[in-house]
Amino acid sequence: MATRSLAQEQRVSQWRRLLDRQRDVIVIYSILLGIVLIAAIALPEFRNPVNIFNVLRQGVALGIVSVGQTVAILVGGIDLSVGATISLVVVYAAGFMEQYTAWWMVLGMVIALLSLGLLIGFINANVITRLRVEPFIATLGMGAILQGMVLMYAKRPGGDIAPGWEYFAEGMIGPVPFPVIFLGGLVAVTWVLLGRTIWGRHIKATGGSEVIARLSGVVTNRITAYAYMFCSLMAALTGLYLTSRMGAGDPQVGGLQYGKFDLDSITAVLIGGTQLGGGKGGVIGTVAGVMIVSVLSNIFNLVGVNPWIQWIIKGLILLAAVAIYSVQQSDEG
Amino acid sequence: METIVEMHGITKTFPGVVALDDVTFQCKEGEVHAVVGENGAGKSTLMNLLAGVYQPDQGEILIDGELIEMASPHEAQEKGISIIYQELNLLPDMSISENVFLGRESIRRFGFLDDRDQDEKARELLHRLGIDIDPRTMLKRLSVPQQQMVEIAKALSLNARVVIMDEPSAALGGRDLDYLFEVIRTLKKQGIAVIYISHRLDEIFEIADRVTVFKDGHVVGTHAVADIDRPSLVRMMIGRSFSEAFPPRSTMAGEEILRIEGLRVGTRLKVDELVIRRGEIVGISGLVGSGRTELAQAIFGTRRMEAGIVWVSGEEIVLRNPRVAMRHKIGYLTEDRNAEGLVLGQTVTQNTALPSLKDRQRWGVIDRKTEREIVKVATEDVRLQAPSLTSDVETLSGGNRQKVVLAKWLISGPELLIFDEPTRGIDVGAKAEIWGLMRELAEQGKGLLMISSELLEIVGMSDRVYVMHLGVIVGELRGDQATEEEVMMLATYGEKHGD
Repeated sequence: MATRSLAQEQRVSQWRRLLDRQRDVIVIYSILLGIVLIAAIALPEFRNPVNIFNVLRQGVALGIVSVGQTVAILVGGIDLSVGATISLVVVYAAGFMEQYTAWWMVLGMVIALLSLGLLIGFINANVITRLRVEPFIATLGMGAILQGMVLMYAKRPGGDIAPGWEYFAEGMIGPVPFPVIFLGGLVAVTWVLLGRTIWGRHIKATGGSEVIARLSGVVTNRITAYAYMFCSLMAALTGLYLTSRMGAGDPQVGGLQYGKFDLDSITAVLIGGTQLGGGKGGVIGTVAGVMIVSVLSNIFNLVGVNPWIQWIIKGLILLAAVAIYSVQQSDEG
Repeated sequence: METIVEMHGITKTFPGVVALDDVTFQCKEGEVHAVVGENGAGKSTLMNLLAGVYQPDQGEILIDGELIEMASPHEAQEKGISIIYQELNLLPDMSISENVFLGRESIRRFGFLDDRDQDEKARELLHRLGIDIDPRTMLKRLSVPQQQMVEIAKALSLNARVVIMDEPSAALGGRDLDYLFEVIRTLKKQGIAVIYISHRLDEIFEIADRVTVFKDGHVVGTHAVADIDRPSLVRMMIGRSFSEAFPPRSTMAGEEILRIEGLRVGTRLKVDELVIRRGEIVGISGLVGSGRTELAQAIFGTRRMEAGIVWVSGEEIVLRNPRVAMRHKIGYLTEDRNAEGLVLGQTVTQNTALPSLKDRQRWGVIDRKTEREIVKVATEDVRLQAPSLTSDVETLSGGNRQKVVLAKWLISGPELLIFDEPTRGIDVGAKAEIWGLMRELAEQGKGLLMISSELLEIVGMSDRVYVMHLGVIVGELRGDQATEEEVMMLATYGEKHGD
């Protein structure tokens, strides 16, 4: 590489440039396609349209939270408090809607809980940038605090939802579930934010190298705060979605029993090609990562794989994804 | 030519060190001003003051005759001063234009980026430097010299009037260097002042108009390059002439310590015979890519041999891995001592003792007392100059870091030592010390294999020289008869057939 002459005219084709930017995305979608094809051929239950929409619907919660996680990882961090944030929003929302069901009360609640999400992200970011705590530890601690608050409020599943609230999860627009369209819109907006605005450019730059970005005049502390606030906002949104889906509030929804959203969202993002440590990646890859995680879960359930084996396989996939990308990384250098 | 920058009576101290003492420096429009001096002579400090990284304790900085203060690199950039560090400040996963305009993006309404406008501007800047690369190319696709051009383009985009280059040639060779010079001349024509920091004297005579020599935080002098010759420049830098820097050769070469026959590594490296005797320094010269380092790695067992027989002190061995090599008392001082030779952030003692830890532990607990004693002896042997043995190696100069690496190896009592670029990035005075140590080791009856890109070092140090070209040894010369020209001729042998 170093011997390539400078003066030499160098035309990189459009195709090559696209490949440069999107190679990981192309690879990950090929893998997704492969998994889906194999499952569709081997499992008649899998290719049933009802099941397909089920997979998509189940993927929405993970999808929303992973869109946020993508941004946190892209800025060079990680967010281990998303699971607890989800739980907190779920129990507060279900608890609130048990008492108040007027539409304007519910609207106020939505605004309040989304603001709570922003606040959590803001605190995370400031602990990281000003108190200089590693993102891993900062958000792990925040997650513990939030989970404590959840259990303080609700010891066991309970609460209720307002009439009409179930539309968020159960509504249909034509043949397509509303939540799938909602997630699609969210992905599109995030994609534009990351790829087409100065905000996204600076997030990637900060993740690529905080020092270089700062020396170039990027206010990296502020950018980091935006990224974590966005991530927690998405987690809060996931919580709202889950109350709609379950019709109640389960204090352990985000953490222990159902999805383990911390682990799953990080797995989805990293499988999707966003680089741990930041600077490279995006939501398009994350969508594929989410679908791979959801499709695999669905296949395991259809085949009847034990939950504990599923855990082991998930862990292995996460480690493999990171290992493959980092080996690839060092080969490039 | 107008003077752009003037620095008067600059003093800068760091805890325990006076880095600059009453220094005066100035630089004019459209000139290339070389800055030379040993490591720690103060040139980096001066440049960092000019780039706004540090602020002076005393003294004043004037730009266009106007007194200014620069509290940050950002302010320096606004005043028209850009610095290009050896470690380039670029993001690999972004395009050229994204890098050039980072923090100053072209924006339309609502924070939306105008990449087309930005790409166009970047293309223009590259064009001004005579480069035709698509500005949308990802940075990681570029070679190091191309990346340097991106940094220069970035400086141009900031309307820099002074561009400081900190050892820009360290990562370049041959044609790329010529290209850099061409770009520097282009900058000159546009009236930009280039401050060029380098260890390599040839470059200064080729590109610079004036040269300022630093020593121990003082300016020894500023001269027009046309009025000065190489020996006197070296004398200014080290206070003695260069040929005296090499220790005298010894004549006695003992029995064979290493013999290699029929070596094949990968598809390219083919060495039919290579011999190193006790008491001998054997130099290996060749251009980058000629297989020098691969050869060294094969001898140390970190690169697989496809074929070949190796004898160490007459015993035939299979160099399967570095542990086998070390058991047969072979040591290897790598080219990149910061990444591969030292644990930066640990102390001199910890670094020196690292490879021999298992010899001084009892039930897994390190015997600190013997550790200290052994390290003390080893570091005295290499005449290490460190504030203390508990200093972080990161605070040491290049020369002293190399001494720590050497001390580390000496504890294990090696018989054959491979030095890969032993004095790269080390200042002239410390080079002489390393050379002296190497000669001492040879006189103790050890065999030394020295890979070097510096012809002067090859010719000055080696008892015998093997010259490599495209993976093959193309010549063997006696060190006391070899000349730089002769070695260069052999190393570029076949160049005309294309490389």
